[in-house]
Amino acid sequence: MDRVVFESVRKVFRHRPALFNWLGNERSGETVALKGLSFTAGAGEVLTLLGPNGSGKTTALKLISTMLLPDAGSVCVDGFDTQRDGGRVRGQVGIAIATERSFFPRLSARENLDFFAALDDVPRNECSSRIDEVLRDTGLAEQADTLVMKFSSGMYQRLGIARALVKHPAVLLLDEPTRSLDAATTAHFWTTIRELADRQTTILLATHNFAEAGAVGDRVLLLQKGDLLADRPIRRGESMEELRAFYFRMTGEVDEAAGMLQRAGRVS
Amino acid sequence: MRAGLRKLHAILRRDLLTAARHRTGFAITAFGLLTELAAFYFLARAIGPGFRPGGVEYFPFLLVGTGVYTFFVMSTQAFLSTVQEAQQTGTMEVLMTTSTPPAQLVVLSSVSAFAGNMVKLLIYLLAGAVIFAAPFHANFLACLSVMILCTAIALAIGVAAATVQITFQKGSALLWLLSSGVWFLSGAMFPIESLPRPLIFVAHVIPLSYAVTGMRMALLQGESVIAMAPTLAVLAAFGAVLLPLALWGLSFSLRCARQDGTLSFY
Repeated sequence: MDRVVFESVRKVFRHRPALFNWLGNERSGETVALKGLSFTAGAGEVLTLLGPNGSGKTTALKLISTMLLPDAGSVCVDGFDTQRDGGRVRGQVGIAIATERSFFPRLSARENLDFFAALDDVPRNECSSRIDEVLRDTGLAEQADTLVMKFSSGMYQRLGIARALVKHPAVLLLDEPTRSLDAATTAHFWTTIRELADRQTTILLATHNFAEAGAVGDRVLLLQKGDLLADRPIRRGESMEELRAFYFRMTGEVDEAAGMLQRAGRVS
Repeated sequence: MRAGLRKLHAILRRDLLTAARHRTGFAITAFGLLTELAAFYFLARAIGPGFRPGGVEYFPFLLVGTGVYTFFVMSTQAFLSTVQEAQQTGTMEVLMTTSTPPAQLVVLSSVSAFAGNMVKLLIYLLAGAVIFAAPFHANFLACLSVMILCTAIALAIGVAAATVQITFQKGSALLWLLSSGVWFLSGAMFPIESLPRPLIFVAHVIPLSYAVTGMRMALLQGESVIAMAPTLAVLAAFGAVLLPLALWGLSFSLRCARQDGTLSFY
């Protein structure tokens, strides 16, 4: 059964000038972020969302999390519509967004997770063991009692992932989850993602990293300017270069990095 | 119910830990409070014992008026701060994706601020009585009734300010306008009767005027709940109308912000 269903979803951001903007030059206008996007994701599936900046990847994740509501079409999680049953959807979805400063700085990592776990109705008797588990999984066990104001951006990012995991969500949404992570943590994180998928967690992961898409993804959704360009499976062992070539062929963008490397004689 | 209490506990714990790790804040607040009391005490002495608004000495009149006014304004400010802080630190969007209904979250988040302001009010009044010998003849049941109704109205106005913040990102402007107007018109510093007739009319549609008057009656004159029934009835009516309206407005504005993608705008 499909766990996440996007059906003809359209999302428009309307810019309204600030009140009393008589002297300013701010104008109203709109940006169409998604133009009738449709796709599904099943239980235990890892869907990677690829696409240039502004293609609608983050908007799609925010729509599933109910941070945003669609202007047309519907988004359903386990049969619950995000517009009508937002509360039930939120109970099943965990999200780690790219801007990870969304913590209480004078609380420790453990205290922050404890706070969010309470708001997410994590059973009290499981709270402590779950927090230990996610801190271990994200490599933060040693910093569990450090105030998060002392964290580096990579540690903030790990804590964001830990927060998304602590509620044991049926659907996990990750927006560029390894952007600030070191190589070892990234490798460990990819293993965690595959283990979660094996336990039937549906994962949607927005990324610009082809290696990541190839390492953890079952399917790739390629977006550009709010349109779905491609929806295809990722073959086991599909290389980063193959995905990269597919991306540039579909988007019509120029692979400047490959050209530069070729010119420098680094690749043939 | 149990889940709600657990969430309240989590929020209170978060705020207590944050406050405790901000120790200088306590010292600055205490110093500010004492300075304010001393200023009012010497102002009352300068004016002299002949000025007895409503038949009470001017210092206790000021003490209760400014204490209730500060509690009211700081409590409404608490909602706005909750929303503004969440927007500025980036926690707003994440908090709105937890299983806790957004309106419940905003209200619970301000409970610790209410509790803190209540403690500050008690310390303020106690310091006035102990250090500056303000004479109290309190009826505790009447005081409690006024406080509960005053809290309900502050809750409504605070939620309204949070709504304006979420919708127009200008909640502080509204609160500044309200608090400065209310400061002048609520009778916190001087009796409402000293105002020109049209302003007296305006003062009588401000709920805080009734809260200030009610608290003076309960705390300084020892009036019973029955004797204060008309004042309490007006406060209850304000609460019954404003609170549901404000909560509906907050839910509506949060839905609009989700639609427009402006939850974290400030």
